Amino acid sequence: MRIAKMFVALTALTLVIACANQKEPAEKAVAQVESALAEFRADAEKYAADELKNVDEAVAKLKANLAKKDYGAVVTGAPAVSSVVTSLKDTVAKAKIDAEAVMAAAQAEWGELSTSVPQLVEAIQSRVDTLSKSRKLPKNVDKAAFETIKTDFETVKADWTAAASDFASGAAADAVRKARAVRSKAEEIHAKLGMNT
Amino acid sequence: MSTENPYAQYHVVKKGDTLSKIAEEYYGDKMLYPKIFEANREVLQDPNKIKPGQKLRIP
Repeated sequence: MRIAKMFVALTALTLVIACANQKEPAEKAVAQVESALAEFRADAEKYAADELKNVDEAVAKLKANLAKKDYGAVVTGAPAVSSVVTSLKDTVAKAKIDAEAVMAAAQAEWGELSTSVPQLVEAIQSRVDTLSKSRKLPKNVDKAAFETIKTDFETVKADWTAAASDFASGAAADAVRKARAVRSKAEEIHAKLGMNT
Repeated sequence: MSTENPYAQYHVVKKGDTLSKIAEEYYGDKMLYPKIFEANREVLQDPNKIKPGQKLRIP
């Protein structure tokens, strides 16, 4: 009986010592994971928010185990969490490169659109102003069509203002998408006025 | 220095053309010929004197 009690006490002591031995590695592992994640968190929030959420949950479990002093679980689980952090870092880096390429392309296209669309608008505006003073309309434009053209042209100008505003606020991709639609509609009006001959 | 607008419309003067005729063709109103004359002052000195082959901008 006495030997049995001593065995239990010894086993408990061994466990306490083993556990205490794992405390430092466990704390270090959690700190390393958190530090690695902090390095690219801002980009991750921007380019891979859903994946970041999953990684945050894994890190939270690790920290919960640390709080419970379950250092063994922390030391065992940390490599897998560290691996998903590394994987997320790679995903974010690739997404950032892709996003920057899209942004560069949008900015280049905006450069062309911001020249051509105002020229198109200027040409149409001049003709609309002149035809508005005309006692008769040319053969290719009837009165009803001209009224529709004027309404559509006002929409084109408003949409162009919105596109320019998007670009000014940094939303280049949205600006380009709107500007393409504006140019397409303006080219339609230009043709309806018989100006593309 | 002004750059040429690629969306501007041009008319190449044919024999028998007058600015009034051209204004009527593009605007439906021959009385608007001064618009064309003013837009082409660099090549036209007199609205009654246009020559075949001249390229006029129609604003």
